[in-house]
Amino acid sequence: MPADSRTQSFLPLTPPTLHTLVALADGDKHGYAIIKEIARRTDGRVRLGAGTLYAIIRRAEADGLIVETDERPDIALDDERRRYYRLTPLGRKVAAAEIERLESIVEMAREKKLVPRPKSV
Amino acid sequence: MSATGPSTPKDGRNPSLGASRGRSLAERVMRALLRLFPFDFRADHGRELEQTLRAQYRDAAEHGGVRAVLSLWMEVLGDFVTTAPREHLAVLKQDLGYAFRALRRAPVFAASAVLTLALGMSAATGMVAVVDAVMFRPLTVERPDEIVSISNRNGAMWLSWRDLQDYRAATNVLTDAVGLAPRSASLIVDGAAERIAIGLVTDNYFSMLGVSAAAGRVIQPEKSRAWIDDPVLVLSYAYWQSRFGGDAAVIGRTVRVSGAPFTIIGVASARFRGTEPLLRVSGYVPAGAFEQFNEGRAPGSSFEDRTWRMFATLARLKPGFTIAQARAELDVRAARLAREFPSTHKDVSLRVVPETHTRPTPELGPFLRLAATALAGLAAIVLLITSANLANLLMARAASRGREVALRAALGARRGRIVRQFVTESVVIAVLGGLLAIPIVMFAMSRLRAFIAGVTAAFTFDPDFSVDGRVIASALAIAIGAGVVAGLAPALWVLRSDAAASLRSAGRGVTERFSGRLRSALVVAQVALSLTLLVSGGLFVRSLDRARNIELGFDPDGLVMASASPGLLSYDRAKRVSFYEAVLDRVAALPGVEAAAWIQFPPLGVVGDSAEVSPDPRPSEPDWRPPIAAELVVTPDYFTAARTRQIEGRPFDDRDRAGAPLVAIINETLARRFWPNQSPVGRRLVADTATLEIIGVVQNGKYQNVGEEPRGAVFRPLAQIAPEMATLAVRTSRALADVGPDLRDAFRRVDPDVAVFDVRPMMAHLDNGSAFFPFRLAAFMTSLFGAMGVLLAAIGLYGMVAFQVGRRTQEIGVRMALGAGARDIYRDVLSQGARFAAIGIGVGVLLSGGLAQLLQGLLLGISPFDPLTYLLVAAFLAITCLVASFVPARRAVGVDPLTALRTD
Repeated sequence: MPADSRTQSFLPLTPPTLHTLVALADGDKHGYAIIKEIARRTDGRVRLGAGTLYAIIRRAEADGLIVETDERPDIALDDERRRYYRLTPLGRKVAAAEIERLESIVEMAREKKLVPRPKSV
Repeated sequence: MSATGPSTPKDGRNPSLGASRGRSLAERVMRALLRLFPFDFRADHGRELEQTLRAQYRDAAEHGGVRAVLSLWMEVLGDFVTTAPREHLAVLKQDLGYAFRALRRAPVFAASAVLTLALGMSAATGMVAVVDAVMFRPLTVERPDEIVSISNRNGAMWLSWRDLQDYRAATNVLTDAVGLAPRSASLIVDGAAERIAIGLVTDNYFSMLGVSAAAGRVIQPEKSRAWIDDPVLVLSYAYWQSRFGGDAAVIGRTVRVSGAPFTIIGVASARFRGTEPLLRVSGYVPAGAFEQFNEGRAPGSSFEDRTWRMFATLARLKPGFTIAQARAELDVRAARLAREFPSTHKDVSLRVVPETHTRPTPELGPFLRLAATALAGLAAIVLLITSANLANLLMARAASRGREVALRAALGARRGRIVRQFVTESVVIAVLGGLLAIPIVMFAMSRLRAFIAGVTAAFTFDPDFSVDGRVIASALAIAIGAGVVAGLAPALWVLRSDAAASLRSAGRGVTERFSGRLRSALVVAQVALSLTLLVSGGLFVRSLDRARNIELGFDPDGLVMASASPGLLSYDRAKRVSFYEAVLDRVAALPGVEAAAWIQFPPLGVVGDSAEVSPDPRPSEPDWRPPIAAELVVTPDYFTAARTRQIEGRPFDDRDRAGAPLVAIINETLARRFWPNQSPVGRRLVADTATLEIIGVVQNGKYQNVGEEPRGAVFRPLAQIAPEMATLAVRTSRALADVGPDLRDAFRRVDPDVAVFDVRPMMAHLDNGSAFFPFRLAAFMTSLFGAMGVLLAAIGLYGMVAFQVGRRTQEIGVRMALGAGARDIYRDVLSQGARFAAIGIGVGVLLSGGLAQLLQGLLLGISPFDPLTYLLVAAFLAITCLVASFVPARRAVGVDPLTALRTD
């Protein structure tokens, strides 16, 4: 995907921000769900605090990377109304650009034999 | 918070069962933690955060038990504590950015607001610095709050050495006590003599005060000796830097202090600025070593003389003891002394007060503190006026931004946020103003210091008016405070009601009217005060001008002075006279010198001599009192050098020496008073205790100050008086820079031990002495404050008029749409400003008239009602006010009628 200057202006992302955007990549989620998913996918290594999360959400909303969608009750938890968030197209582009950036660093490290290449499965 | 026991049932789903008490505590804690976040953040995401936290808590309680819950709380705490400050910072950055952009868009407003703050703050900070130096700045010693001053209430306020030792022995309440006696001395290094102030100190001076050496060592007490009499000298750090360039090689060198050899043993620490707050003490010697202290007696005998009250005494309170306790104990000892030495100590009554109450001396201390308090009050008033002015300006701006604010409120900006942005903006202005004020104040203080140091006196006054970190920090804190307060006013006004509606109704509510009147009154008051100050300043300037043109009885232009004090070296009479005459011979022979003569105290200086004079025989009237005449001691060529006209008789000459009959020359006033219509030559005059034969009469002159009534003067020959110090007056066409070195050289060749000082033109002597200095000082101060007042008043008026224009935008638009021309609008707005100006000037004139009585005694040759001065000042103020109104007037004219009509 061609990287335009607007997308580039958001890079680099902080790791918690990237995690948040990635967590939203496969569907709308509310705040707690984001925290749980990140914890699960990283085997508990990355534990996002609620305060940090909502600070990220606030910034990302202001920057246009995510939007709030209609609230709908989460049947799993007591019918409480929760706010759900969705990744915007810009948000997708930015997350993807950040991953590409990280990939290029990883590739550089591999060429220098800093880390091994994964055995092809 | 209590989780249920280890066997956690699934009661997370039924929160009402059992765990409700623990949960509500947890909720309270959670809500409290949420408050850490900024207002906006909470408003937007607070509920979600709560929800999430609650869900996390439930999960932890369900699956992990107590440990999981505890670790969750730790996590949450750590998370909030790191995230909340970052959010606050983000908001602050946004507000700051907004504030700066808003200010950039209105440069005139920003500049006038910052200037207002800067002026007010520099005035207030300057006064605070002066007050601080006088009352608060602690001595630069160890634990200065323990230092108290001991002095006598009756008679001579200092203590004798013996008395000091007796009080010092009160070790139950005092740790120790020290004494310092300041003296003038001539210091000669490498052949160059300089007059400095030295401190004769007791041995324990440095040790009690905890002052260490920056180089070498300081004077230390020795157990084996009662007092130290080694001829050693400790330099002050500042003097070491200025005179010796901080050269460490001076340690160990021998110099001559008032003729006696002393060895420099060290330099006091850089931090130490002495214990005399107003004097510049350049060096310290042990009191026992200073020959002059003993004044020719047996060494150390002065120490035993209890009537030789020389020492300014400072003592250190023992930790845990109060000053009252120390006072009680010392009073007991004083009473004991009164019994032991009834003839000399009968009336001894001690004054034991904190050191800060005794600046510059224990007697003057209370007065100066009073003056300083008044000054602090004045500073507070200035600050208040400044804040009010700033608020005024901000209000004016708020009036024109009402639409912008209404718009933002409509778009969802919360009131609290808007208020915070207003306050941030005014704090930014205040801080900028404060930062601008700092260099202004530092400059002003250094000028003030130089001004004071130039005063002709026995010592060099060197008050520590420096603006240090403490003063700057408090200035900035005050600035921020003023900014916050000033910023709240417009913010609250704009938000109090629907801003647009308030604009439309032109705010005719009662509170509106009241605050409007208050602001108008403020502007009028400022104009009035400015007028008063400027009129006073103008009157003083014109007095100064008159003073410079008064017939002084001598011609000051072309006179160069140089003073010397051979008495400091304990020369006897004959040696002093031969010194004076030798120097005179050399100087008179210099090229370009028309005439030269000595005079003990040049006229119109700070110091002068006088005598009770009466004709011999005295008049027979029973209640006749001898008048006081000025007494001047001169060498024969004085009248030639000074260009004072001799009317009768002969000048002094070689006949009038010591041992010869005592003679005198008098001035016209004295001659006419005692011998009207006769020649006084040959008659006899009694001056104090001496009977003199009159040999001549000279023209009248001014002797004490330029405004004095004609008074009598008697001149006596220097050879017959042999004063301890005198000033050489040299009539020359050469410039000071040119002839100065030659003069110093002549002195040095005659006697290098005698220090030459105050080498300067006569005009400088007059400017810094009683002749012109008071006028200069008064003119300077009133003009300075007057100028500041005018600037502040102009800015205040501008704000006032701008505010009203802002409120009437719609009305102006309508009028212009209906055909009113630019000129009509101008006239309308300018007449508003003119009205303020007129009232202010009127009040100011009345105020000045009221002060006229006060000014009468201070002016010279000009009436306090001088119409020209009033006219000029009033015209200046009127023009300033018109210009200040012009800017908003121009903006009013620029209003597009359509835009104005199309209001919200």
